[in-house]
Amino acid sequence: MLEMKRRFFLAGTAAVFAAPALGLAQTAKPAKGGTLRISVDQAASVIHPLLTRVNPEYLVTELLYSNLTRLKVDMSVEPDLAESWKPNDGLTEWTFKLRKGVTFHDGSPFTAKDVVATFKAILDPATASPGRNNVGPISDIVAVDDTTVLFKLSGAYADLPVAMAYTNARIIPASIATGDLKSLSTKAVGTGPFKLVSYEPDRLIVVERNPNYYDPARPYLDRIEVQVFPDISAEGSAMIAGNVDIISTLQPTEYLRLDGNAGVEVLRTPSGQFCNINFGCDTAPFNDARVRRAIALTVDREAMVNFVTEGFGTPGNDTPLNPSYQFFKAAKQRQKNIAEAKKLLAEAGFPNGLQATLIASDRPAVRTQLAVALKEMAKEAGITINVQTMPHATYLEQVWKKGSFYVGFYNMQPTPDGIFKLLYTSDASWNETRWNNKAFDALVAEARGTIDAAKRTELYTKAQELMNEEVPSIIPSFFDVLSAKRSWVSGYQAHPRASVFRLDYASLTDKAPKRG
Amino acid sequence: MSPNYVAKRLVMIVYTLFIVSLIVFAITQILPADAAVMMLGENATQDALAALRENMGLNAPVWQQYAIWLGHVLQGDLGTSLRTGQPVGPVMFEALGRSLLLAFLSIGLMLVLAIPLGIIAAVRRGKIADMVVSLISYAGVALPEFVTATVAVLVFADLMKWLPPTGYVPLTENFASGIAHLVLPVCVISVILIAHVSRMVRSELVDVLHTDYIRAARLKGISRGQVLRRHALRNALLPTITIVALDVGYLLGGVIVVEEIFAIPGIGRQLIVAIQARDLPAIQAGVLIMAATYSIVNFIADILYAWLDKRIQYD
Repeated sequence: MLEMKRRFFLAGTAAVFAAPALGLAQTAKPAKGGTLRISVDQAASVIHPLLTRVNPEYLVTELLYSNLTRLKVDMSVEPDLAESWKPNDGLTEWTFKLRKGVTFHDGSPFTAKDVVATFKAILDPATASPGRNNVGPISDIVAVDDTTVLFKLSGAYADLPVAMAYTNARIIPASIATGDLKSLSTKAVGTGPFKLVSYEPDRLIVVERNPNYYDPARPYLDRIEVQVFPDISAEGSAMIAGNVDIISTLQPTEYLRLDGNAGVEVLRTPSGQFCNINFGCDTAPFNDARVRRAIALTVDREAMVNFVTEGFGTPGNDTPLNPSYQFFKAAKQRQKNIAEAKKLLAEAGFPNGLQATLIASDRPAVRTQLAVALKEMAKEAGITINVQTMPHATYLEQVWKKGSFYVGFYNMQPTPDGIFKLLYTSDASWNETRWNNKAFDALVAEARGTIDAAKRTELYTKAQELMNEEVPSIIPSFFDVLSAKRSWVSGYQAHPRASVFRLDYASLTDKAPKRG
Repeated sequence: MSPNYVAKRLVMIVYTLFIVSLIVFAITQILPADAAVMMLGENATQDALAALRENMGLNAPVWQQYAIWLGHVLQGDLGTSLRTGQPVGPVMFEALGRSLLLAFLSIGLMLVLAIPLGIIAAVRRGKIADMVVSLISYAGVALPEFVTATVAVLVFADLMKWLPPTGYVPLTENFASGIAHLVLPVCVISVILIAHVSRMVRSELVDVLHTDYIRAARLKGISRGQVLRRHALRNALLPTITIVALDVGYLLGGVIVVEEIFAIPGIGRQLIVAIQARDLPAIQAGVLIMAATYSIVNFIADILYAWLDKRIQYD
C-alpha cells in the first residue's frame, strides 16, 4: 500500500510536469540516430569511473560504463550487467548472475573476474574511491564461474542490489583494475552504451554509439556531446537558441526564464535533495537536545520552501527522508512554535536567549540563503545567530565534519539506508553531527538486515521519530530536481537522484536539427 | 637601441618570472585548503589522503617542493594537474592560445575603429562629432563587461537570433561556426578597448595639435590633412602603443568574465577553475604563463616604441 502511494506520488508528479514527454515516449517508437547535446554547469574533470565526484562526471561515466544494476526514475532497481540476483536467508551472501556475451570497448569479453577485480579496486583504500563506503558491507567477492559472482557481506544487507547501482560502482576490465588503473583518467574501457571519442574536461566531451552494446535496441542516439557552461545564463541562452537539447541541472531562476519558450520544455521532479543545518551534538550548547529542538521550532517550513528553494521544493521535517524514498511514512509535521522554543531554551538554562555563529560555504549560494533565513526566524525566540560565509574550499578544510553549527547540502541517496549511513549513524562515513545515538544505530542496522517492506517501513519510521525528537540537524525543506529539454528530445526525464541521467533511453524526433 | 639593451630587458624578464614563481608558490602554500582533500573529495579515507600526500610530495619541506618544481619547469615540464591527471602545460598553452586569439581579434577591431574615432573627436573638438565619440567612450569605459556581454547575448542571440549565444568552436574544427561564436565576445571586449584607446588618441592628438611645431607647420602653408598625417599622428600614436600593450595584460586577466559568460575555455577561466579546485600545479603554471606573456608583450611594445621614435635612447 505504502509502496503504491510512493509510486503514485512520483508517477503523479512526473505526469504533471513531464506529460508531453511521457506521451511521446509511450506512443512513438524511439527514432534512431542523431547527435544530442547536453549541457552541464561545471567541468567533468574526472572520467576515471571509480573516482568521479560530481554530477557531470557521473553523467559521462554513465554513458561509457555499466553497473551491475541501475536505478529507474521511480528509484526501483533494474538489471544492467547483472541479469538476476538472490540473497541467502540471512542476507549476508548475494549471488549475481551476469549477462552473457557482453564485451568491453576494447573487444575483450566481460566476465565475473572483471566484477571481482572492479570491487576489489573500489574497496582498496589506496584507490581512494569515494564509492568505498557506499557499495555495501562487502567482505569478500568470489567469481563462482564466468557468469556468477558471489558477494560475501560482513553483515545482513537488504539493499545490496541498489548499492550496485552506485555512481562509482561502474565495472571496469580486470586487466586494468589489477594493472594500470590510473590509465582510466584519460581513456575509457567500459561496457556502456557509448564509447569515448574525445575528452576536453572544461569544454566538450564527445561519445558515440557503442555498436556492440548488449542491448541491440539501445542506445537510440548516434552521438552525444556534453558541453560545459560555467555560466548558467549562457546555458539557458544556448537552450533557447536550440544549440543545446538538454540542460542536466537547472536553477530556479533559469527554470522560470526557460519556461514558456517555444520548443523548450522544463522538467521538474520532487527529490530527496536537501540543505541542512548541522549541530555538533558533542559541543555545548548543542549537546543539549532541547536547544536543538528549540531552534528547529523557530523554523517556518513553508516560508523556507518559498525562500530557499524559491518554491521548487517540499517542506522537511528534520529527517532526511521524504516521499521520494522507499519505505517512507509521513510523521506529524513540525510546526513553528516560538512559545515552546522559548520554554525549551529556558529549561536548557538559556532563559535570556542564546548566541551562536552559523557557518555557510558559498557554494551553492543557497547555503547562505538558508543561513540568513534561519537567523531571521530564530530572532523571535531570542536566539541571535551570526552568519559567517566562507569559500567552499576553506569550509571543507576547516568546518565540514568539525564544526558545531553549519550548513550542509546533499544529493538524494538511492535508499534510506544510504542516507542514514552516510550522515547520521555513529559509524557514518560523513558523521558530521556526531550525534552517535545507539538506539538509532540499532534501528538502522535492523532495517538493513530486513527484506520485508512493511517491517522496514516500520523500522525507518521509528528511526525518523527518534531523529525528529533529537534533531541532530534541521532539515527545513527538500529541493525539486529541475532540468530542461527541447521538445524534439523524447524519452528523457528528470531523475530524483539528480546524478542519474539514463541518456541511452533518449532519442531525437525528426524535428531535431541535423548536426554533422 | 643597442643589443645590450635587448639583452638586459630579456634578463629582466627572466628575473621577473623568477620572482613571480616565488610569490605564486608562497601564496599556494597559504591557501586555506588541502590539495589532497580537494582531489579526493569529501569522502576520502585517512589512509588514502596520506598516500596521496606522499605521492604528490606534499609532505616534503616547502623549499624542497619549490626546488623540485622549478627544476621541472626549467626542463619544460609544468607538472601534472591534480584535478584531471593530465599534464598542465599543454592544457594551459592551448587555453592561452584561445585567449590570445580573442585578444588579437579584439585589438584588431579596436585599432580599426578606435584610432579614426579618436582622430575625428580631436580634429572636430567641441563639435557634435566629438561629443558623440566622447559619450560613447565614457559609456564604454563605465559599463562593466558582464553587463555588455549579457545584454549582447540577450539582444543578438536570444531575441534577434543572429548569432550563436555562447560556446567555443575551434576554428580548425569548423571555421565559419568558430568565427560566428567569436563575434559577440570580440565585440564586447572591443567596446571597452575602443572607449579606452579612442579617448587616449583624442587627448594625445589634442595636445600635439597645440604644440608650436604644428603651428609652425600650418603657418608654412601645409594642408591640414598633411599636418595631421605627417606630424601630429606619429607623435600622438606613440603613447597608444603603451596603452595597447597594457591592455594585453587586461585582456589576459580581465576578460575572465567574458570567457566565463561566453563559455570560452581561455587561460583566465582555466586559472579560476584551478584556483577553485586548489589544483596547485595548474595555478602555478597558469600564473607563470600569464606573467611570461605579459612580460613578452611589454618587451615587444618597448622595442617597437624605440624603433618608431629614434630619439628614445636606451642603454
